[in-house]
Amino acid sequence: MSEIAEKVKAIIIDKLGVEASEVTTEASFTNDLGADSLDTVELIMEFEKEFNVSIPDDQAENIGTVGQAISYLEEHAK
Amino acid sequence: MANNLLAGKVGIISGALNDQSIAWKVAQKAHAEGARFVLTNAPLAMRMGEINKLSEECNAPIIPADATSTEELEALFSGAQEQLGGKIDFVLHSIGMSANIRKKKHYGELDYKFFNQTIDVSALSFHKMMAVAEKQDAMNEWGSIVALSYIAAQRAFLDYTDMTQAKAMLESIARSYGQRFGKLKKVRVNTISQSPTKTTAGTGITGFDAFYNFADMMSPLGNAPAEACADYCIAMFSDLTRYVTMQNLMHDGGFSTTGISAEVVDLLTKAAGAQE
Repeated sequence: MSEIAEKVKAIIIDKLGVEASEVTTEASFTNDLGADSLDTVELIMEFEKEFNVSIPDDQAENIGTVGQAISYLEEHAK
Repeated sequence: MANNLLAGKVGIISGALNDQSIAWKVAQKAHAEGARFVLTNAPLAMRMGEINKLSEECNAPIIPADATSTEELEALFSGAQEQLGGKIDFVLHSIGMSANIRKKKHYGELDYKFFNQTIDVSALSFHKMMAVAEKQDAMNEWGSIVALSYIAAQRAFLDYTDMTQAKAMLESIARSYGQRFGKLKKVRVNTISQSPTKTTAGTGITGFDAFYNFADMMSPLGNAPAEACADYCIAMFSDLTRYVTMQNLMHDGGFSTTGISAEVVDLLTKAAGAQE
């Protein structure tokens, strides 16, 4: 697992209070990990802070699963 | 219908997330009534909502602030006075959040870290705002400070869990700070206890539709809409209510003093008939 993937998973575990085993690549923030609308915005902002990127709203909308977050950040993280 | 009720007045309006928000409607009406003001919200809420649209519409600058942080509230009040060119006449506190409600924890399994956060965000922030305003001597005489509350402060509502305690504290803070601020600066402090309202915050509560409909059936005037609540806020910010302070003001279409209504009797009679 890449360093980015590990960090992303750690953020998700911390922010959503879920078990590491639940944070699979396919896991959806809202359907599988119990996130509400505020949680998903909070996650996006946390990713931005941690990886020093700015995620525009229209792209943030496409980040709904753990895997989507990892691939977006692997592509855009500085 | 605008009557220039707030002509020349300046204020701070918190909690406008989107056009469903009560604070959003307060801002629109305050603007129409001739007030100038700054908008504020937590950075997270700003990202989630559409406050920039409101800012443009009302020509109101935005000063982001986490209302649990005294430092950020200090920056808010000093920034507001700077941008508005003087002391503040009115403040709207429309801030509340419970992670316990969001995570659907029932009352017996509340997470105490979340509970403390609920109290901090939804009630102590009101005290912090006023303490900052007092220390900066930021309020004009006869200023008006309003926070939005809910009847769960007085009565038990199953799914409102720790927000119940937060609202009870909010209303209590309004009385205690109202006493202090009245003596110090003739500033009045009140809470408005609003009918259940279909906002982003309201609809996050489990069973919201049921208690929304129940309250509507119980209230002789029906649930008070957000728009009407905003009107009440404007009235409370105006000079027409200068001697109203330290009150929890019911804005609920008559819900709080109704025992039972014909609509509820009908509904229960029909339900009993269906069971037979």
